Amino acid sequence: MGLFSSMRISGSALTAQRLRMDVIAGNIANADTTRVNGQRQPYQRQQVVFSPLNQGAGSAGDGLQVAAIVKDQQPGRQVYDPANPDSDPNTGLVAYPNVDTTTEMTDMLSANRAYEANVTVLNSIKQMAQRSIDLGRA
Amino acid sequence: MPISSIGGLSSIVPSAPGSASSATKAAGADFGSTLKDAIGALNQLGSRADASSLSLAKGDPIDIHEVMLNAEQASLGFSMAVQVRNKLVDAYAEVMRMSV
Repeated sequence: MGLFSSMRISGSALTAQRLRMDVIAGNIANADTTRVNGQRQPYQRQQVVFSPLNQGAGSAGDGLQVAAIVKDQQPGRQVYDPANPDSDPNTGLVAYPNVDTTTEMTDMLSANRAYEANVTVLNSIKQMAQRSIDLGRA
Repeated sequence: MPISSIGGLSSIVPSAPGSASSATKAAGADFGSTLKDAIGALNQLGSRADASSLSLAKGDPIDIHEVMLNAEQASLGFSMAVQVRNKLVDAYAEVMRMSV
């Protein structure tokens, strides 16, 4: 049914935004992680990349999907702290992740608003369907 | 004057019910199978909604909006089936009201 496929488009967007929220939560949780996989290296910030699904000529497509979760390769800040167990033995510097909490909070707000926008679209589609069914009512 | 029997009529009468029954059988197969397919699709919507809400209750990693979408689709499909049924019943009542 055509109406149900348009609900699926918004559903795919909701799934993608929720995954983006998971990545943001992971970034904020690991904002001070200096050891990854037992090695002395900082946590690299992750970002999601979206891409449209089945975007053919003359069709609205099937929504969006998460194409990849890429690591941000920018170096983070370095703090001089020889007492830290993860500090460099030669220089005493500790490499912290490149996670900026302000940026992550802004991304979180954006993901939140995108989720709400898609829920509004879904409600609107549902109302259209109910109005169409009411056509049959006497 | 001799009144010849209307023998020609006997050849028409047996064939008329036969053709009518075959016509209704062809139309009945179309409508009946369409109705069955529609009810099967509706049943599938309902069972999918049940399965997704059950897996959410069990703690499977299913999104909440997925469960809600399936439930909403089942509800809409059922409302539409009820409206179609109302229309069919009205049409049947209309036909039955016709005086013979």
